[in-house]
This record gives sequence, C-alpha cells and structure tokens, in this order.
Amino acid sequence: MTHLVRIEDLVVDYASGDGSVRALDGAELAIGAGETVGIVGESGSGKSTLGAAVGGLLPGAATVARGSVVVADHEVNTLRPNELRALRRERLGYIFQEPIGSLDPTMRIGKQVALALPGSGRRADVLTHLERVRLADPARVAKAYPHQLSGGMAQRVAIAMAMAREPEILIADEPTAALDSQIRAEVLDVIFTLAAEIGTTILWLSHDLPAVAKRCRRVVVMYGGRVVESGSAHAVLDMPWHPYTSALVRAVPGAVAEGERLVSIKGQPPVLTGAAEGCAFAPRCPDALSTCSVDRPPVVSVHERDVLCHLAGQQVGVSR
Amino acid sequence: MTWWRKADWLTRSGLLCLVLLALGTLAGTVLGIGGDPDEMVGPRLAPPNGEYLLGTDELGRSMLPRLFEGIGTTLVLSALAVLVTAVLATLLGIAAGYRGGWLGEIVLRLVEVLHSFPVIVLAILVAAVLGPGQTATICSIILITIPLMTRVVRAAAVSVSERDYVTSAVISGARWPRILSRHLLPNLSGTIAVQGTYALSVGILVEGGLSFLGFGVQPPQSSLGALIQQGSIYLLAAPWLVIGPGIVLVLAILAINVFGDGLRDSLEPREARSLV
Repeated sequence: MTHLVRIEDLVVDYASGDGSVRALDGAELAIGAGETVGIVGESGSGKSTLGAAVGGLLPGAATVARGSVVVADHEVNTLRPNELRALRRERLGYIFQEPIGSLDPTMRIGKQVALALPGSGRRADVLTHLERVRLADPARVAKAYPHQLSGGMAQRVAIAMAMAREPEILIADEPTAALDSQIRAEVLDVIFTLAAEIGTTILWLSHDLPAVAKRCRRVVVMYGGRVVESGSAHAVLDMPWHPYTSALVRAVPGAVAEGERLVSIKGQPPVLTGAAEGCAFAPRCPDALSTCSVDRPPVVSVHERDVLCHLAGQQVGVSR
Repeated sequence: MTWWRKADWLTRSGLLCLVLLALGTLAGTVLGIGGDPDEMVGPRLAPPNGEYLLGTDELGRSMLPRLFEGIGTTLVLSALAVLVTAVLATLLGIAAGYRGGWLGEIVLRLVEVLHSFPVIVLAILVAAVLGPGQTATICSIILITIPLMTRVVRAAAVSVSERDYVTSAVISGARWPRILSRHLLPNLSGTIAVQGTYALSVGILVEGGLSFLGFGVQPPQSSLGALIQQGSIYLLAAPWLVIGPGIVLVLAILAINVFGDGLRDSLEPREARSLV
C-alpha cells in the first residue's frame, strides 16, 4: 500500500537562545489516502511541528536534522520553492487553532475566500463555498470583516478557505480549542462531512484523546517528539499498550466513577536538547525498567498497532 | 467619516490645529498677506503694531510674511523628508521582517549604526559633506528618522508574517508580491502612519536645530529654526522675533504628537483584538 504521507525518522531542532531544543526526535508516521487520523499529545510533544513539517511550513528557527517527509511521492524537505508551492496549493489545507487570527483583519471575508479559490474566484463561487460550511447568511458574512464574526463563524470561514481547492490532506491543528464547547461539535461535523464528501485525508492534532477517538479511525499518540503508540481508535482507547497512553486514558474526566479521583501523570513532559537516551517517558513511567532510561525502545508492531515501549516487547514477546 | 466620530477631542484638536496651520500658511503665502517677506519696509525692530502685526526684524522686514514663509519651509522640508523615510523604512522594514535571514541582519546592523549617532552630530556631518542648505536638511531628517521607523516597521512585519492568515496565503500558493501587497502592507499601514507622524515632529525639530546652528536653511530664506536663530540675537531688545516662531514650533510639534497618539489608540485596539 502506498501512503499519502510518510514520515520516517524525522528529527527537527529549534534554535533557541543558547543551544537548541529538539521538537521531533525520530518521529515515524504513515498515513494512507482517505484516512482520518487523530494525533494526540501534550503541548510540547511535537504534534504541531509534525503538522507543519508535512507542509514544509517549519519556521525559520527550525532545522530538519534527519529523516524524510514524503507527501504524495514528493520529498518535502528537498523540493524546490516552485514545486513546494504547487504541492501546497494542490494538495494541502490547514486549519489553525485561532479562528480570528487565521483571517486577515484588513480584508472582507468574501475577498479573502476569493483569493483562496483557484483562478479569479467569482462571487457566486465564494457564496457556494461559504454555504458548504453551513454558514447561515453567506451574503452577509461575505461582506463582513473578520472582527465582526464570532469565533465559530470565523472558523467556518477558515474551513471554507482551507477546503476551497479540495485538498488531498487537511491538517487541523486543534481547530476547536479556542471555541465554546457547544459549537465544537458543529464545527467538527462541518470539517468531517466536508472532508468525507471531497475524499480528503484528515490529520487532526489535538490533546483531547476521547474526542479524537470518537471521530477518527486511527489514533496516534505522541510524546517527547516521538510517536509512542498508533493504532485503530477503539483499540488504543480500550486497551492502551504504552504506559503513557494508558495514563492519558485514566486521566480523562468521565472515565472514572463519580467520587473517584482522577489519576494525574506525575512529573513534567521533557524538554529535549538532543536525542533522548532512553525512552522519553521513562522518568514518569510507573513501570519503568532499568533499560528504559538507557536504551531507546524499538517499535513493536502487532495487529496493525505500533508501540514504542520495552514493556510492550516483553508482554507480547515479539521484538524487532 | 467614522474615524472622526470615534476620535476624542484631543485627537481632533491636534488634527484641526495642524490643518489650520497648514491652510493658514498656504493662504498667507499665496495671498501675500503682510507683504513681501524679503522687502525692508519698516523701522528696525519695531514691536507688533497695527501695521506690522508681528513687528519687524533687525533689517526692518515685516515678521508676519517671514513667519508664513518660515512655517512653509519647515513643513515642506520635513514632510518631503518623512515621505522619503516612510517609503524607505517600509521597504527596509519589510525586507528585514518578512524576508529576514542575512538580509534582515544587514538592514538591522546598518540601521543600528545610524541610530548610534547623536542626532545633531549626524546632522552636522551631513551638512559638512553636502554643504549647508535645504538638501542637507532633508537628508539629515531622512537619516535620523529612518532608524526609528525601520525598526518599528520590522517588528510589526515580523509579527504580521507569523500570523496564520499569512501562512494560509502561503499554503494557497500565493507568491511573495501578493502576500506583500494584500496582507503585509494593509496590516502595516496603521503602524506606518503613526510612525510617520512621529517622524514628522522629529523632522521639524531637526530642521529647527540645524537651522539654529546655521547648517540648515540659509538666509535670506526663512524657516522656523532660522527665524529663532536670527531673533535670538535680539532676545532682550525684541523678544517678539523669537516668541512668534517659538509658539508655532511648539504648537506644531504638540499637535502632531497628540494626533499621532490618537491615531495609534484608534488603530491598536483592533490589532490587539486580532492577537487574542
């Protein structure tokens, strides 16, 4: 099976003050066409960097130290500017966390959507695209400036712009984190319905494991710049193999009976300055072995699930 | 005009003051109110009276037309210089802020070198190289205001180019000319306008200082600085020579700064909002 996105052993460093911070420490990910993938991780786990790397959108302070990002058989890191431009234009769409910030405050909505459309972008097309994201009054919205819209409306406009060129991959970086809880579901409905109509692959970056598991076929858990567990959503949620994933599942409100305490994960996520020597989660892991802080765990693959853990290797008894 | 309705009384009076000053000067110069500024018409050092509203100077020239000419010279020189500064600083600031990299470093270092000179030293240096006069005045104002403006425009350009809508435009395949004209320039225009007003008041001050030292506008042409310099010799005998141009100078700078502050306040709430 050929993959639409294939990330192999990706290492990304950010230059900062004195020295550098490692955002991705050998991340591996393969996504097939039409999949819906949720990438879950804390702030600093590297999920946003991973999302940016897919579009070759890493900021100037970031350097790709190693590894490859292949999108539709193009190696993103070595593309010439014109080829990268074409790749982004024809295949990629992004939705950001802050809806108002993803719209230009100096331009009317209709004009912005027209600029995002292929070709000149006629007014009728603009209204069609605004209707597709179920905006109640497209004509009025088209005439408005971003600061006159609510967060939910602005995010719908941003979705309309991202989906205007019918991208093959939609990368949504916490698209509902800045929205009120009651409109989150509506906005997600819009994203997933539209993507299903067009056949767009969704890469949803989030820190909300249950929400992701509800809508995505596959869940990818990131920690310390690596993908520590990936597999079908219900399998990962029902039977997490990686200690970090199971800690995440236990920390979800609503997962425990009323009156019981939520189990928090002790300690802080790591800030890596170079390659982690062992497993990045070892200092916080309740079941850590002596090898965990010394040897980098290998990938254990069973039943289309990948886990990055020494314990999983022992439990399942297969190890590569 | 919505802006006028939203502005507070201080901003309005600043703008009004500036417009009146400019229009009054224009009318006075064009209509020749008070006579020829270079003609020796009356007694020397006459105090203000019915015939010579602002008195006469040491050569018997009427001060009113000389003041009109002086304001005109100062405003036109400063405005010209600030116009050039605005264009150059916008280009440099965007180059340093959006393009960044080695180009940005070079621009920043050059601007810092310019900024490290004391204002008057730089102006005297320019006057020494080009020879005293209007050209030296304009060049001095440009060199002095460029570092201030470039740095602010660069900072704003950095922040705008990190916004998600610029990234969105990049993803939708926009080339840099389109990003510059559609996104960067419109979002920087407020900053540029506000900085332009500050540069204008700096320009007026530099013209005043340079002409006061004798390196700026040369006689017989008058400017605010030249008038104050010539009048300062007779400060005790004929204080009206200095008081007129002095009041106008203070008023102009005050009005520009008050207006600039109001402009900034009216532009920033929206920018702050888009950052949240």
